[in-house]
Amino acid sequence: MPVNDATGTVPVAPPPVEVARAGRRLLRWLEFPVALAVVVGLWQAVSAIVGNNTMVPSPLRVARAWVDLAQGDLREDILASLLHLGLGYVLGVGLGLALAVASVRFAVVESIVDPLVELLRPISAIAWIPLAILMFGVSGKVPVFLIFYAALFPIFVNTVAGMKQVDPQLVRAARMLGASPRMILTHVVMPFALPFVLAGARLSLGVAWMAMVAAELTGADAGLGWRLFWYQEFFAMDKVMAVILTIGVLGYVFDTLLRKLQARITRWSPDSAVDETR
Amino acid sequence: MKIEARNLSKTYVSARNGEQVEALRDVSFTVEPHEFVSIVGPSGCGKSTLLALVAGFIPPSSGQVLEDGVAIAGPDPRRGVMFQDYALFPWRTVLGNVEFGPLARGASRADMRSVAQRYIELVGLSGFEHRYPHELSGGMRQRCALARLLANEPDVWLMDEPLAAVDLQTRNILQDELLRLWGDEQDRAKRRGVLFVTHGIEEAVYLSDRVLVLGRRPGRIKEVVAIDLPRPRKGLRNSAAAGRSIDYIWSLIHDEAARAIVEETA
Amino acid sequence: MSAQRAWVPLGFFTVGLIAWQAAVVYSGQRGLYPYPTGVIDAAMRTVADGSLLAATASSLQRVLVGFAIGALCGVPLGVLMGFVRPVGRALGPIVDSLRSIAPIAWIPMALLWLGIRGNAALFIVTYAAFFPFVVNAGQAARLVDRNLVNAARALGASRALILRSVVLPGALPAILTGARISMAFAWGSIIAAELAMGIKVTAGGSGAVGLGQLMVSTLYVRRDVNGLVLYMIVIGIISLLIDLAMRRLQRTLTPWRQA
Repeated sequence: MPVNDATGTVPVAPPPVEVARAGRRLLRWLEFPVALAVVVGLWQAVSAIVGNNTMVPSPLRVARAWVDLAQGDLREDILASLLHLGLGYVLGVGLGLALAVASVRFAVVESIVDPLVELLRPISAIAWIPLAILMFGVSGKVPVFLIFYAALFPIFVNTVAGMKQVDPQLVRAARMLGASPRMILTHVVMPFALPFVLAGARLSLGVAWMAMVAAELTGADAGLGWRLFWYQEFFAMDKVMAVILTIGVLGYVFDTLLRKLQARITRWSPDSAVDETR
Repeated sequence: MKIEARNLSKTYVSARNGEQVEALRDVSFTVEPHEFVSIVGPSGCGKSTLLALVAGFIPPSSGQVLEDGVAIAGPDPRRGVMFQDYALFPWRTVLGNVEFGPLARGASRADMRSVAQRYIELVGLSGFEHRYPHELSGGMRQRCALARLLANEPDVWLMDEPLAAVDLQTRNILQDELLRLWGDEQDRAKRRGVLFVTHGIEEAVYLSDRVLVLGRRPGRIKEVVAIDLPRPRKGLRNSAAAGRSIDYIWSLIHDEAARAIVEETA
Repeated sequence: MSAQRAWVPLGFFTVGLIAWQAAVVYSGQRGLYPYPTGVIDAAMRTVADGSLLAATASSLQRVLVGFAIGALCGVPLGVLMGFVRPVGRALGPIVDSLRSIAPIAWIPMALLWLGIRGNAALFIVTYAAFFPFVVNAGQAARLVDRNLVNAARALGASRALILRSVVLPGALPAILTGARISMAFAWGSIIAAELAMGIKVTAGGSGAVGLGQLMVSTLYVRRDVNGLVLYMIVIGIISLLIDLAMRRLQRTLTPWRQA
């Protein structure tokens, strides 16, 4: 092997262990694309066997339909859905947080809000759809209301749980160090409850997303959910599949974003709060 | 500052079945301004309850805790506490934790920082200011908790089994560090009063000027044992004099400790 | 809550109910707004003519079948994904993406594939019940306490015994939690599916009438607001009962669980 004149060293091949490790890492990265390819392959096979592009549209047709949509209606559908979601979610989480903090701070508030929540929680957002349609007519207000309602409960329950589970030793430590009750609330209870709040926010997003689709499907005149049935009326199943996939991917993206935010903010915790559905 | 406990009693009512549990009965003692006092006793003798009373976290059922003759009214930075699990704020770095005391008392940003840095250096944690508690070992967390306590410059140190959560080797090293920081090698006048709760008789004898030996059910003072060892204590851990005190105290506790194994629940 | 504190919400709600009743009755808008005695009337009526019970039974039946199928498919897949890490990593994102598609988004496809006789609703419910099982069974399989397994091996247990006496009991709590969540999702989805079908499928009926379809016909045909509120309350009560039953089941099957 030639000697490197500048450094006087001989280039050496990396030791076998390192190569194996690098190879394993590459294989890991390939796992998902391969699985995806297999699923798409199966899909293609099924659609070829069924032969009817309306019953089971082939992946290719769906892809083409998606491109069609992307250049056309998809943008305003996504915008409409995001508008519904944004408004409803912010209102729901905002009210949920406020009620939670008030509940923990003032026993009177708790004695009224708690039973109310327990009473309403079993009645899912879906059950409100007909009443909402009656109240607001078929319009954008229905999804916003549904999303608001759905998002309310997880954030409330989780925030209260977080605030109440503050380690009493930490509160004692703060008192011993001379902190005022106000400072204990802002500097001990709230930071402690933050992971719980974020877990609640993620759960709220999940149910809000479902409520959005359900509400738009049945009681709205815009948005991705509404668009599903729009295309179904024309039996354009490839477009329907395209919309379904868009809903899935968007939902996944939002959840991942929130999950990363959650991980970032609770950097200090060796094990962040656990999501009940995981 | 002199701490005086006068006829302290504490009875708990069990939330589950309304039973009354007498944790402490008629406990009286003092901690003089510069002395190191330990509390030892079998499981269930009320050691931690006693410390919590002196710290001011819970009110006594009867009796008083006096600091320099004045009854206390709750926790106070002048009576600094070190907890068994350190109770470090997990979302704050080492620096953030040590700064908390000055912050709570309204110090300026610059003051907070400089005071915190000084004590972090004193306990030997320089270079770790920006680590979070979960990144630190047990011994380092103890140092951080100590620095946090010292940053408020308390007149009395109240310590609840602070070395219980570390292994024995680390524990011996930390004991020497604790003594050094306390002023074991310096003039008596430079030392603060310490009330130190521990399970370890050897530890109590090695560190203290006096040892309060508690009995259980109900918790009460069995005897106050004066420790006749010179200061500085370094090297005297296994001395004959220490051994005699240890044996004596153990003889006071032995039977009750054996009973506690069977009777105490988690 | 102490007896004293219970009076505040109790009083609050009683006053609230009375005020609600009075407000609607005296405003003369009985046709437009729901009111407490109207809801009670609707309850007595629908119980008497059997429509409420029949619809509830239909919905529940679909839920139970969907739940069973979801469990049978979801648990094995979840366990596989949990034990065999590469499979878990590969299928993970796909499962997660499918999971975030609300079950009722599949209604158009389901209607096409399975017709309108109610099997479409069953598909939706199964889809909804499937994922919590996958997720929870997967987590259970992944988190089997190695210490317990090693302790069993040191005591000389065979693989079969370990699987039966260590892995399965260890995984059971998580699987049962998955069952509870799955049941809750399933109940929510069936209502949604029946609602959607009721609204969108007007011709030819949609098979057996469940609670969702009942709500739709009450909304658009009878215009009975009190009935709507009644059905909402019924849906809520059943949710509660389902949750209570599942928790009871969980406690019975895993008595060693402290939580």
